[in-house]
Amino acid sequence: MAYFVLFLGLCFVLGGLAVASNPSPYYGVIGLVVGSVVGCGWLLSLGVSFVSLVLFMVYLGGMLVVFVYSVSLAADPFPEAWGDRRVLMYVVGFLLVFVVGVVVGGIVECWKFEVVTVDGGGMFSVRLDFSGVAMFYSSGAGMFLVAGWGLLLTLFVVLELVRGLSRGAIRAV
Amino acid sequence: MSLLHMSFYSAFALSSLGLAFHRTHLISALLCLESMMLAMYMSLSSWPIENQAASFTLMPVFMLTFSACEAGTGLAMLVASTRTHGSDHLHNLNILQC
Repeated sequence: MAYFVLFLGLCFVLGGLAVASNPSPYYGVIGLVVGSVVGCGWLLSLGVSFVSLVLFMVYLGGMLVVFVYSVSLAADPFPEAWGDRRVLMYVVGFLLVFVVGVVVGGIVECWKFEVVTVDGGGMFSVRLDFSGVAMFYSSGAGMFLVAGWGLLLTLFVVLELVRGLSRGAIRAV
Repeated sequence: MSLLHMSFYSAFALSSLGLAFHRTHLISALLCLESMMLAMYMSLSSWPIENQAASFTLMPVFMLTFSACEAGTGLAMLVASTRTHGSDHLHNLNILQC
């Protein structure tokens, strides 16, 4: 089981690599989807299921869906995937950076081959993350209001940014 | 640092390297930014897990809220630049060049 968690951690790095290696945005989103699915699996295997589901719904189901249909603004006639030479050079370069970092970190004793996993910590009916996020409504009510105000402000920011020169008409793009 | 912490740090570092390098499309840079936010979310949520402190679970959720705000703003700027420049190619954004 510990090796499965380590495999998920490796897939997380590979997902970040897939985004950073600069393919066409159609394929870059795949790396982000893989990374967030694997990240959710990692959080689930650690026992914090609420935080994992929040990531799934808000990040994968909200933000990435918006990104996927906004990628249609970045249309290429011949989209490049990871098999094309330019993207492959980026992948090789980033893999080299990663491997050198891991090896140097191993020599300097920066990281240890261990898995830190704690699950639960007792026979409680309320789990760790459920009770933690529920504090948004009790002690953290001020934070909650600030977050809500920030989201409302962002709505107006976005409306102003896409207003366009004709002052309010909705255009095709 | 354990191996999992290193996987989050290296994902964050790789994404920020990807953000720093030259690319064709603006939305590729926004995707790298989103990948950095994902790595930060995972790192922040590993803190309450390892220290078993429930109240720190607020941090990744709060961070995700503002990361959604930032993603929305970035996409609005993408739409605005596509309207004025015709595409989101970064080499077209050169009106400040001498």
